[in-house]
Amino acid sequence: MKRHHRERSSERQPLDTVAEIETPEHIRFRYQLAGPGRRMMAYVIDLIIRAIIVIVIGLILSLTSLFIYDGFSTGAVLLLLFALEWGYYLLFESLWSGRTPGKRAMGLRVVKDGGYPTGFLDIVLRNLLRAADFVPAFYAIGLTVMGLDPRFRRLGDMVAGTVVIVEDRTRLGHGLVVSPPPTAAELDGLPARPDLGADDLEALDLFLRRVGTLNPAREHELAEIVAPVYARRLGGLRYDHPARFLALLYTRATKRGA
Amino acid sequence: MRSWTQDEFIARRKGEWSALDLILTAGKPLHRLPPADISNFSSLYRAVCGDLVHARDVGYTGDLVTYLDGLAGRAHNLLYAAPPYRLRAAWDLVVRDFPQAIRRNLRFFGLGLGLFYVPMIVCLLATLANPEFATYILSNETLRGMADMYSEGHSGRDAGTDAGMAGFYVYNNVGIAFRCFATGILFGLGSLFFLIYNGITIGTVLGHVIAAGYGHNILTFVCTHGTFELTAIGIAGGAGLQMGYALVDTGGRTRLGSLRAQGRDLAIIILGAAIMLFIAAGLEAFWSPSSIPPPVKWAAAGVFAVLLTLYFALAGREPRVKRRVYAGTAGVETTTSSPNTSLTSGRLAGVRP
Repeated sequence: MKRHHRERSSERQPLDTVAEIETPEHIRFRYQLAGPGRRMMAYVIDLIIRAIIVIVIGLILSLTSLFIYDGFSTGAVLLLLFALEWGYYLLFESLWSGRTPGKRAMGLRVVKDGGYPTGFLDIVLRNLLRAADFVPAFYAIGLTVMGLDPRFRRLGDMVAGTVVIVEDRTRLGHGLVVSPPPTAAELDGLPARPDLGADDLEALDLFLRRVGTLNPAREHELAEIVAPVYARRLGGLRYDHPARFLALLYTRATKRGA
Repeated sequence: MRSWTQDEFIARRKGEWSALDLILTAGKPLHRLPPADISNFSSLYRAVCGDLVHARDVGYTGDLVTYLDGLAGRAHNLLYAAPPYRLRAAWDLVVRDFPQAIRRNLRFFGLGLGLFYVPMIVCLLATLANPEFATYILSNETLRGMADMYSEGHSGRDAGTDAGMAGFYVYNNVGIAFRCFATGILFGLGSLFFLIYNGITIGTVLGHVIAAGYGHNILTFVCTHGTFELTAIGIAGGAGLQMGYALVDTGGRTRLGSLRAQGRDLAIIILGAAIMLFIAAGLEAFWSPSSIPPPVKWAAAGVFAVLLTLYFALAGREPRVKRRVYAGTAGVETTTSSPNTSLTSGRLAGVRP
């Protein structure tokens, strides 16, 4: 129990849904881990695709069985069911390097723990163990295990050493726009290079991006908590509106508008 | 030290990012890309990695870092893509990896077979000694159905029925074997259940049909494919028990680490068992019910049993001297792919023009 605890704290990541990976180029980059919700959506999409395949081929076979003895079509349907139950994930995850149509639609991918691509044997293990994750019904064990694991792994992922990640395809956002644009007079009151660290900037950035979407009273309330801290730290600055002050500070620190 | 503002930085670098994004959006494996893109790709990837480090270091805003993270991540996945599959690997599995893995984990192979065969033989003998016994295990209806099924000798069915049954045997038997294996992760309990349950059922049915006087029919039917099928169920269950046991006796690793150390062997063993069950399904559908005379079926069963034993005992053995030399590396290989090995294989495969 003790060791378990220590292990967990040593691999703690900045956010609990993020896994950090170090590449051979000694670059660390971060992956967002896929949670149960997104994975269930992908599962449902795959389930629908498989159901459609069964229905279409079943219909074709039932039409042809009017002409030939239907032992063949029974056998073919059972083979098809087998292939879809056990082979569908195996085929797609190995050919599309860790993605099925459902995962693709949800922007998910299976990778090894270290961010490397999965091998065929990993894919065999993680998908055969679906049978265990499914027990007693509807992935009850799998979902429970996933909920308890900090990396959202089900049993199959644990045996195979894989994680499911979200592949971000975020567009490059436009720069932050402070409106109305800061005037020179406003900026003059601030130090030319406010001494703000990366964490400060990130906090300000996150706040300012939400400014338009917050209730004005709430916006004011939040800004009022933070603004005095920065005002004091930067040598007792004065301001009228805390939210505006933060925006100006951010503008100054990132040299935007300069 | 901040040389560029964020907006300047984006303006300067955006061209290369879009170029990389364009290559990635094509969604093709690296070696299928036009030559110019291949040579471009790795320098673009490295440049983005550099940009990412710079952006994070200087403290550009979260959205930019996230964007670069995503871009670098996707590029990384393309560059280090899994090696393409070769038919050669399937051949290696059959002639070398599978029998080797069975020998490496002989005790679980034995345990799986034992937990399956012992209940089967006990129930078989119990039913023969006292036919009443069967009724405690299975319903009268099931038993009557089984006896009826084997009341006549097999003189061949039409091809349509054979094909239909082949599908059923694959769906049912391979599915059972996979479940028998997978549920072993629950500390071996699932495999234990499936092995004993199947042993009891099969033993009872066998005993009941023999007691009803159709022993010759059922045994002639079962003998050929049974060699493959029953052994494969034992193998699958044994692999499940091995998985459960790795959770209990971790050999000083964490439970997860212990489980993962078995991963490669487990996957190879279950794939091998699946191949055996496909062979069994083919035999059960087309050979066992055919009108081939019983002595031929028994001879085939004997030959298969001997071949299977020899296969597990001998296939994939290295020459004696060589084996001693490679003893060390063999141990390393079994502990599944370390990042380093998959790295090299990925690089070789991914960048192949």
